[in-house]
Amino acid sequence: MIAVVPALAALRRRPGRTFLTSLGTALGIATIVALLAVGQGAQDAGNQFFHLGASDLGLFQKDAADPTTSILPESLLTTLRQTPGIAAATPLILLVGDIKPEPGAIVFGADPGGFLLHRLVFTSGRMFGQGEQAVVGDQLAAQMHLRVGGTLTVARRRLLVTGIFHIGVAFQDGGAFVPLALAQQISGRQSEATTIAVKLGVGTRPAAATRFLTRRFPGITVIGEGQEAPRAGANAQLLSKTSFVIAVLALLIGGIGVMNTMLMSVVERRAEFALLSAVGWSAVQIVQRVIVEGVLTTLLGAMVGLLFGVIGAQLLVRALGAQAFVSPHVTAWALGRALLIGVLIGVVGALYPAWRAARVSPARVLAQR
Amino acid sequence: MAGARVSVEHLTRAFGQATVIDDVSFTVEPGETVGLTGASGSGKTTLLQLIGSLDQPTHGTIKVDDFDVTHLRHPARFRLETVGFVFQLHHLLPELNAQQNVELPLLAARLSRRERARRSQEVLGEVGLGDRLKAQPADLSGGERQRVAIARALAGRPKLILADEPTGALDSRSSEHVWTLLAGVVAEHGTTMIVASHDPALADRTNRTLNLVDGRLVANGERLDVREAVQ
Ligand SMILES: Nc1ncnc2c1ncn2[C@@H]1O[C@H](COP(=O)(O)OP(=O)(O)O)[C@@H](O)[C@H]1O
Ligand SMILES: [Mg+2]
Repeated sequence: MIAVVPALAALRRRPGRTFLTSLGTALGIATIVALLAVGQGAQDAGNQFFHLGASDLGLFQKDAADPTTSILPESLLTTLRQTPGIAAATPLILLVGDIKPEPGAIVFGADPGGFLLHRLVFTSGRMFGQGEQAVVGDQLAAQMHLRVGGTLTVARRRLLVTGIFHIGVAFQDGGAFVPLALAQQISGRQSEATTIAVKLGVGTRPAAATRFLTRRFPGITVIGEGQEAPRAGANAQLLSKTSFVIAVLALLIGGIGVMNTMLMSVVERRAEFALLSAVGWSAVQIVQRVIVEGVLTTLLGAMVGLLFGVIGAQLLVRALGAQAFVSPHVTAWALGRALLIGVLIGVVGALYPAWRAARVSPARVLAQR
Repeated sequence: MAGARVSVEHLTRAFGQATVIDDVSFTVEPGETVGLTGASGSGKTTLLQLIGSLDQPTHGTIKVDDFDVTHLRHPARFRLETVGFVFQLHHLLPELNAQQNVELPLLAARLSRRERARRSQEVLGEVGLGDRLKAQPADLSGGERQRVAIARALAGRPKLILADEPTGALDSRSSEHVWTLLAGVVAEHGTTMIVASHDPALADRTNRTLNLVDGRLVANGERLDVREAVQ
């Protein structure tokens, strides 16, 4: 590193400009950090989403745009229950956006006799019976001030709340369960399910069961514990592609900002680079010097950007109305990547100005007075 | 350390139609101090920049010791190791203190931090600024700034000093100080020096004087009266 001290001195000499350039980078980095954090949070939520209580595997329709838009025939259940190694299978219907005041809350239509509902622990009241009834997760109940005996409106149907439960899975504690038949009516999917939760028999390995089920039923996707949820949905892939495009744009905007300022700075300081050249700095050393300046500026911006990004992620989730089930997750790897991107912005943005600085003729500039 | 031998042959530098240096030939022996006089615009700066490889000639050759200055593979290394430039204006970087300014060429030489500090302190001591190492250029007088610039030129222990009106921006007392300083350095290290100046004091400080008129050398190797040569 040839020139950190003079580069720092040059940056300190023009604090206003250095600050503004850094700020441009900071906003770019903040965007990237926020997107990565929300993406990670959504993925965590997605992973949790598939841990449907005591189930080992979740079956979804292959190539569904989103796990919630999957459709499976209920008749699949009969075949599954006869399959060796499968101890239990129960259908689920997922209703999204049907509770008006809490659009993030999910309503699960479940078979009261199925193994999933056996795990619900009621803090008050009891399991729903047949008809227009619902049990509500304690988190959702707290948000909506619901009590046993109150009413929960789902898709304009007023349901009697018979119980409040806690299960320890954010999705379900922030949502509600209703009878399967009712959910099928609401969604217009008679004899259909969104997903089928499968419990494996003792001694059956999930990986082996997944292989077997995929071969046996080519139209379904099997999601096991700990697997990445986005694989199941085209929407999730779209989200991650969109994030990528936005990140690239942020990078470009940051890079152009840095280039713009550095170029101005280089043109203004022609005499300085002419002097360096005259006292024996090589073109490569001058290029290095300008790049060091660019990287120092953007590193400063990246630090601020990390902070902005972490705050921005919370705001973004709130703006999307997804705070009920997505909490932004900032990983060390995401921060590291953002810093790396900051350095990259500095290098890329400084390349052209550096080239210009290295080409300043020492004779012409020093002769000026 | 001996000075460099400079030999210039049929040197021409044209900018478009204007021939600024016109078929100039001369030789400077190691350790010699040669004055360069001529009216403003006669080509003194251009000639010095050509010799220092800051500019490229249209025709002709320049040799500094064994270096063919017009075909250098590493001009930066030549400027770093062989030549020390003193300009009319000091060209110090305002955000760096005296020592940091002097260390600029040493940074290019990739010397260690300790070695850079040692050398810069040594040359600043030689120019009488051993106690102003950390001073910012803004806090130095005009004469002191020029002395820092001289220290910067000396930092690489050059064999050839090219000084372009080094006292042009100084009052007479500071000028005197700078001349004494340059003469002392040259005498101590045997450095070769070519110095362009309008200063009448130049004649007393040099072995001989070259006189440029419109880019041509009108006398070579003779002592001229500088006061007459400069209008
Ligand atoms: N880059 C350039 N382009 C065009 N003309 C130049 C350039 N540099 C110097 N000149 C011209 O060359 C002449 C000599 O300039 P210079 O070497 O600075 O003279 P001096 O140092 O003796 O005053 C002047 O007429 C000046 O205008
Ligand atoms: Mg001149």
